[in-house]
Amino acid sequence: MEYRSQKVAYWYFAAALPLFVLQIFLGLYLAFSYTFTVPQAVVDVFPFATARAMHTNLLVLWMLLGFMGGTYYIVPEETGSEIYSEKLAFLQLFALLAIGVTALAGFFLGWTKGRPLLEIPPPLNYFVVAGALLFLFNVGMTMVRASRWTATQGTLLGGLVFLALLYLFGIPFYRNEVVDWYYWWWVIHLWVEGAWELVTASIFAFVLMNLTGVDRQVVEKWLYVEIGLFLFTGIAGTGHHYYWIGAPRYWLWIGGIFSALEPLPIVLMLVDTMNHIKERKNPIVNRLTWTYAVGCAVMHFIGAGVWGFLHTLPQINYYTHGSQVTASHGHLAFFGAYALLNLMTFYYAMPRLKGIREYDDTRGKYGFWIMTSAMMLMGLTFGVAGVLQSYIERVLGLGFMTAQSYMRLWMGATFFLGLVFLSGVLTTVTDLLTIRPKARA
Amino acid sequence: MSKKTAFWIFLIGTLSSAALFLWATYDTQRQIAALSHVDKLSDEVVAGKRAFQKHNCNDCHTILGFGGYYAPDLTRVVQRVGEDGIRFRVQHPERAFANSWRKMPQQNLSDGEISDLIAFFTWVGNVNNNDWPPQDSRKRLSRGEQMMVASVGVSPGAAVFQTKGCMNCHSLHGTGGTFGPALDKIGASLSAEEIRKYVTDPKAVNPKAMMPPQKDNLTGRELEEVARFLSAQK
Repeated sequence: MEYRSQKVAYWYFAAALPLFVLQIFLGLYLAFSYTFTVPQAVVDVFPFATARAMHTNLLVLWMLLGFMGGTYYIVPEETGSEIYSEKLAFLQLFALLAIGVTALAGFFLGWTKGRPLLEIPPPLNYFVVAGALLFLFNVGMTMVRASRWTATQGTLLGGLVFLALLYLFGIPFYRNEVVDWYYWWWVIHLWVEGAWELVTASIFAFVLMNLTGVDRQVVEKWLYVEIGLFLFTGIAGTGHHYYWIGAPRYWLWIGGIFSALEPLPIVLMLVDTMNHIKERKNPIVNRLTWTYAVGCAVMHFIGAGVWGFLHTLPQINYYTHGSQVTASHGHLAFFGAYALLNLMTFYYAMPRLKGIREYDDTRGKYGFWIMTSAMMLMGLTFGVAGVLQSYIERVLGLGFMTAQSYMRLWMGATFFLGLVFLSGVLTTVTDLLTIRPKARA
Repeated sequence: MSKKTAFWIFLIGTLSSAALFLWATYDTQRQIAALSHVDKLSDEVVAGKRAFQKHNCNDCHTILGFGGYYAPDLTRVVQRVGEDGIRFRVQHPERAFANSWRKMPQQNLSDGEISDLIAFFTWVGNVNNNDWPPQDSRKRLSRGEQMMVASVGVSPGAAVFQTKGCMNCHSLHGTGGTFGPALDKIGASLSAEEIRKYVTDPKAVNPKAMMPPQKDNLTGRELEEVARFLSAQK
């Protein structure tokens, strides 16, 4: 840590981690509901829908907190100055947490906008927007005042502004369901395959640069190519969500072609990471942080790249659309691209924030491998369930519940793996919150 | 490659993709009225959409394939279970799903809200969306039928039973839905002719019947085959 105001990041990370744990508990309830019978009396009070809204919103909340914390850590070092206002950063953290808690309690009481993943109702949404503006103002002012522009911070700021702008399309009530889904994807798709990728790419570039000591010019050159490819394939790639919603038929072509190219930037990111690590100028001090960097690049490639590609072509998507195949892809991609990225950032920044040069990574290693193996296997069990569903329900037309009865075994396996995943998460979160120096032998 | 070249790759890649996307968005906006039948988008349909959102239906069910995967897709729900079927399930989920291992919450919707919901589902069901979902497609199921008869060697009646959505509600030998009665012994009480009549228009035989009439769903030949098949289940 070189700047006092970087300390703010610690509180963002510390707030994000318990939310991550809570997200997994709700996920377990969902997997349980797929496998076992939840009695009517419980379903009436706490339906699957409510738990799903909480599971997904917690995901967004903890990851955004992670991104923001990451930003507050990176920006001072990139600009060579303190954050514009530490007070504002704390105020914004409390505001976000308050909104989050209110939203979760609201979901439980039936206060919802009722749009999947965007359940936060309008009055609260205005606070979300205010919080985002506060954040962008604070980060923007820091950069403007320092006026030492780098590609890394430019990408970061660009991604964050893009992220905030897109959120606006999810706020209005649309009378037409088709139009509603059209713009729903401007938030969801352009977030995860646009804005979030920009934020990720720049955070990743920053960590890689500092970890390996590879020249900034080299890292940032590849950063430009990566984000160029991300946006080239990702923006028009939104079309792969427009096949079956009542949009014109040419979306089958646009979506099919551009999204078939979507793995390219991810492959580049993987190759690039490996190259930088091979050509490192710094010694490997904290091996676990490096493991996270490589793990993130690999799982990002598998979850987002390979799994996404598998069902993105219209001829396949016709049968797999809206099935557990999507759940399989969603879990692997979010974990690989964004959960591991955040955890990598935490493992990079938290020891530095506590003034620990070399940390004890025994527990952390178990955490990483348990989480990653359990999630990889969950991707497979969700995937088998999804293929069964596509074949039994869609190809054979045997009815929804018939398909579900054949999928039950695999959703049960998912539940079991979820328990294993939880143990990995608890290990990791405990390790991060109580990170300690390596004992001298 | 220099950093400057890399920057141009970024700029050109982003702008070209964005230009294509924005043009297609503009064109889609123009065409959506016809594709989704905006002339039939009444206030009742919009009220139905509001009810659909208010009760967070979409976090268990998918519609147009998006949402939760916990419960059946609702794009063609009116075609599949009929208006009465929707009404009964929403009004009395505890009874409708008493025998099911997966439950639906009782959300206490008013009769007006349910009518609005039905108007909304009817409207969505008519959106021209490239014939998705496959299980409710009239074109594709007949091909599925032929495939099953040819490759698995089941009787044509069994193929109709399996592919025309009967199993969404009914079961045979423990496989299928729990919404309607199991049909393992139906042949013992009804003849093929009686089954044909009932399936064509259930209410004409039993005014309290919940089953949607199948006269538009099945061709004459299909009706005959499925009746013969079921009458043999004794």
